[in-house]
Amino acid sequence: MQSSVSLTISGLWIERGERDLCKDFSFSAQSGEVVRILGENGAGKSSLLKVIVGVISPLEGKIVYSGEDVTLDRNPLQQDAIYIGHSVGVKNLLTVAENIRCYCPDVSPETLDTVLKQLDLLDHIDALVRTLSAGQLRRVALARLWLTEKTLWLLDEPFASLDVGAIALLEERIQLHVSSGGLVVLTTHQDLRSLSCRDVALLS
Amino acid sequence: MTYTSFLVSEFLLIWRRKQDVINVLLFFIIAVTLFPIGVSSSPEFLASAAGGIIWCAAVLAILMAVEGMFKEDFRDGSLEQWVVSGLSLPALILLKVVAQWLAFLLPLLGIMPLLSEMLFLPESSFWVLIMTFLLGTPSLFLIGVIGAALTVSLRQGAMLVMLLILPFYLPVIIFSTLAIQAAEANLPYSGQLALLSAMSLLSLVISPFMTAIAIKASAS
Repeated sequence: MQSSVSLTISGLWIERGERDLCKDFSFSAQSGEVVRILGENGAGKSSLLKVIVGVISPLEGKIVYSGEDVTLDRNPLQQDAIYIGHSVGVKNLLTVAENIRCYCPDVSPETLDTVLKQLDLLDHIDALVRTLSAGQLRRVALARLWLTEKTLWLLDEPFASLDVGAIALLEERIQLHVSSGGLVVLTTHQDLRSLSCRDVALLS
Repeated sequence: MTYTSFLVSEFLLIWRRKQDVINVLLFFIIAVTLFPIGVSSSPEFLASAAGGIIWCAAVLAILMAVEGMFKEDFRDGSLEQWVVSGLSLPALILLKVVAQWLAFLLPLLGIMPLLSEMLFLPESSFWVLIMTFLLGTPSLFLIGVIGAALTVSLRQGAMLVMLLILPFYLPVIIFSTLAIQAAEANLPYSGQLALLSAMSLLSLVISPFMTAIAIKASAS
């Protein structure tokens, strides 16, 4: 993990269809912070995360990651980031282990077992993902957070479909990540119990 | 994610969805079989038309195979993950195409002797037919995925893919059948094979980048 990273967004203008989601939106964050993007449904929280990670392009604005302007080429940011969106990129026809190994090919069997045990997925390690519940499917996607060394986490509604135990576990993991120099930007409508975060409001 | 882990996952998915490959092959066999039944069973007619029959059926089967190539990836969010993976998107697309091409081509080549025998294709032309498949089908897959990526977010994109892509398939069909006919007439056919290779190489250079642009547009 890098010693210190920063993310600065300035003058961002996002348009979806014919609708302005945000105009002249700015914020900055650095290592050790959890930034929660707040806003009503449809305010553009998910779009904002997609813009940061480079899935969609803004009409205007500047994105600087660790001092480097990545507005036109997000590759430096992508190399150091995990993005988990609403659709989590988990394959129904692969097993839990196969899905995780696709994203984290170097993980050892022991580490994988330990993480899956924490996430209460060890019994399903060889089960096809299509046989799992929505909450379990999201846990499969979130397992990557335990297994990669990326510094910037962009999480879109990460607590959706999770039970109380899994929410507490994820909050604990996020806390551990930021205390070791990570940076987390997330969107959620959930009340965070143990996680201290800085709120950034996205006004329509 | 690495290129190797991506490719391994693709092969695993193809294996788990082997019914899709079997369906395409069955369609191909049925389409070829209909000609002797529906048009003429005369050995002379079939021998002269065999190359064209096999290639037309193959083109339709390949269209079937490529049309939905990215649908599942779009639905489950994998396309977004490819875009943000930090890996080269054209390279990932190329790996997927290679995996799909192999999964389709190998069984197709396996049943080719049977179909050639059924259509009385002369033995001298059989190996030319195989060569046209090896050299021509890569371009069909590579061109097809551009259409598949352009229409990935549409619910009923199959017909649109066909309309978009079929005109670009015509040169491949024409030069493949010309090569087979030339072999039957004991004429040189290396020119046609060279053109098929050129089309595949051109598609190899252009298609992954165009498909990547279309996928980025669809993912956004």
